[in-house]
Amino acid sequence: MKLIVTQVARLLAAVSTVYALLLLACLALVPLGTGGARLDSAHASNSLFLTEPKYVFLARPQLDTATDKLILLGASNVLVGLRQEQLQPRLPQLEVNSLAVSGSNITEVEQVVDLVLEVQSAAARRHTIYAIGLWYGLFADDSARWNTPDRNAGDTDIDIERYRYGFYRRTPNGSVPLLPARYLRAGTVLIHPYLVLDRAARDLTKSLRDSISGKAAPMTDEQRNRVVVSKAEQDKFLAFWRDYMGSTDELKQSQFRTLRRVVDKIIASGGQVLLVDLPIPAWHSQRSALWRSYASQLEPTLAALQTRPGVAVLRMSDDNRDDDFADEVHPRPRVAPLWAARLAKTLNSEGDVRQANLLGDSASGPHAE
Amino acid sequence: MTLTSFSFVAFALAVALLSNASRNTQWRSWVLLLANAVFIASYVDRPLQLAPLVAFLSLCFASLEIVRRRPSSGALWSALTVLVCSFILLKKFSFLSPAWLLRFPYLSMGLSYVLFRALHLLIDARQGELKESVSAKDFFNYTCNFLTFTAGPIQRFEDYRAQRERPIQLDEGKVFRAFSRITRGFLKVAAVSAVFNNLFATISGHLLDPKLASGLSAPTFALALVTAAVCYTIYLYFNFSGYVDIVVGVGWLCGQELPENFDQPFLARSFLDFWSRWHMTLSNWFKTYVFNPLLKVLAGRFRSAKAGPYLAVVAFFVTFAIMGVWHGTTAIFVVYGLVLGAGASVNKLWQVVATQRLGKKRYKALAESRPAIYSSRGLTLAYFALALTCLWLDLGQLRTILGRLGVLGTMACYLGLATAAAVGFFVWDSFSARLRLLRVGEYELFRGVPARNLGLALQVLLIVTVASFFHKAPEFVYRAF
Repeated sequence: MKLIVTQVARLLAAVSTVYALLLLACLALVPLGTGGARLDSAHASNSLFLTEPKYVFLARPQLDTATDKLILLGASNVLVGLRQEQLQPRLPQLEVNSLAVSGSNITEVEQVVDLVLEVQSAAARRHTIYAIGLWYGLFADDSARWNTPDRNAGDTDIDIERYRYGFYRRTPNGSVPLLPARYLRAGTVLIHPYLVLDRAARDLTKSLRDSISGKAAPMTDEQRNRVVVSKAEQDKFLAFWRDYMGSTDELKQSQFRTLRRVVDKIIASGGQVLLVDLPIPAWHSQRSALWRSYASQLEPTLAALQTRPGVAVLRMSDDNRDDDFADEVHPRPRVAPLWAARLAKTLNSEGDVRQANLLGDSASGPHAE
Repeated sequence: MTLTSFSFVAFALAVALLSNASRNTQWRSWVLLLANAVFIASYVDRPLQLAPLVAFLSLCFASLEIVRRRPSSGALWSALTVLVCSFILLKKFSFLSPAWLLRFPYLSMGLSYVLFRALHLLIDARQGELKESVSAKDFFNYTCNFLTFTAGPIQRFEDYRAQRERPIQLDEGKVFRAFSRITRGFLKVAAVSAVFNNLFATISGHLLDPKLASGLSAPTFALALVTAAVCYTIYLYFNFSGYVDIVVGVGWLCGQELPENFDQPFLARSFLDFWSRWHMTLSNWFKTYVFNPLLKVLAGRFRSAKAGPYLAVVAFFVTFAIMGVWHGTTAIFVVYGLVLGAGASVNKLWQVVATQRLGKKRYKALAESRPAIYSSRGLTLAYFALALTCLWLDLGQLRTILGRLGVLGTMACYLGLATAAAVGFFVWDSFSARLRLLRVGEYELFRGVPARNLGLALQVLLIVTVASFFHKAPEFVYRAF
């Protein structure tokens, strides 16, 4: 027995020594990963965190400040259409942060809200407005969306980051944090060598991986402003989304219930919500049964939520000119400033959004502190 | 409790410490009993899910008692029939009507290996080789040993009993060897096999997606198939042999000397040689309880001396066909069995005919020549890798792939892979021979306690690093069989 205990101690000591040396070397060579002055997951690939989910998961502690802030949530159309750098100058009274994650559904949006609430104090929560970009793809059923051979069935991209470095553990009732949120910064320092290695490995193998996967290089903004979607491509996009959503024409009600739960959670925490019904090109909505299912279920949901204090709704689905879109979902770069202006106007306006007291109410606003 | 989880590492460490808490062998067997029960229970949510396993074990134990007390052929055959039928029912073989099956979820993992051990006991009892009675505790500890429950290795009962009665004898060197073996096992499973599984999943994903596959030219399609087959074979080897390293290493700490299951299978110079190096305890089980009795029966029926060698060809075909079918419950595994049977029997036939034509001396000289060794190794690996496609394709997919390749394409895949493997083996052997000349392990610096533990620490960190790249822990592949 003593021999086994001794060997365990020796191995632990050796692992700790080697890892401590690695950590020191990495800290000396590569600066710690940060999310920047304002969080913007659109730039995750330029950070040490590399991917949007990892960026959201690890960079979030800096949201724990009692200053008024806007957090953008949603999928890639939020990243492309509601750009942090275009919104910030239009909303000087708020810190604008984007925690949108490409390919998100509403379940993952809820997880991002949970992650933010986990690191925020009660005061910080009261200074937070969440703007959630909605469209039908956000209501993909979990069993269809999070079911690929390389993951445990049902694990979202955020779940994968929760488990990747052992910060959370898997239980039959979902993920449970092992590392208390207050130690997240320390945890991020501790895993620094892994972040450096991941970044280096991905950078070094990028061209090889791209050539194997046969992926085309991403379009530049200029190309996205000029690209024309042909009829054949429209058909391909429609087939893709039908397949992506689980080969169905109907969205499940459960996902709309999740949206209500997300709103409840935010309101209960003292925060406020702006629900943004994002547009897709007219050709897409006209030809998609899923969009019809979305529109018919969204309207009563928004109508019910809109009556609640702290909740506002911005309907942008009328901005659906085909020519404004570079593909089936994402607006052209030249259109993004218009989306930003519209969102900013809503947040700055004295109109019906003020009824929602989006930080304009002294009881819940920054001046109350 | 999956083998690659931290909970298993903690569990195994606790069992090892408890096993060494007393030199009393009875204490150790009670610790093992408790460990087995906890390990198996960790796979279920409700006690009812254990009921079929408990019933099957009870049936096996009762059958053993009957055969041991009345060792007649009738009793043995009746027991074998009941147990095999129960097994087929509990494993839900696809040809069974759903009406016959139990309609609640239950634990079926480990049943195959429980059956192998139970049949070994029954047959030995019938042959009078099991002198003493087997207590219920011994029966449970032998058939449900937490280290071998999932997928073997299949230990012989006499070896289990002999080691059970020996006190544990550990020294510093043995403890380090055990830790080293366990670490190597995790490195194989969590790093090497995970990487190859990832490659396999990517390539086979392209092959099995009709839209993507139709865009591939015929040579690219064939190349993708061969690459996927090789990746799967490497994945399977590192996954399974890594598992064996883990359980053998933990076994050493708990006072168990489990049998080895692999002996450098890729050095095999023929298909039959391969199976004496791959999953050895299963091969030995089939040799003892299927091949030998079958050959005896055939030899009794066909007494001509000339027929002798050809009887072995038939016996090999039947044995390997059964072994292949055992791997699964659907029709594709019948194909797998036939492919294994064909490989074994053609291999034996070649040995018989070549020996007859060339004479023993010339045949041996030919087989020992360098070109023959590398081409045989290449042909063996290629045959096995392509046979293994049955484990990741269903019948429809296999038909589609064979239809697209045609006979010539399939032959080209086989011969192309065999040639590439032969060249690869030659290059690897030359490289390893040069590496061995450096004799790194012999330097005193690398043999001290700190250096050895730093080496282990680097392996541990490598495991954690590679694991962090993947989105889920690699499954232990043989638990499905």
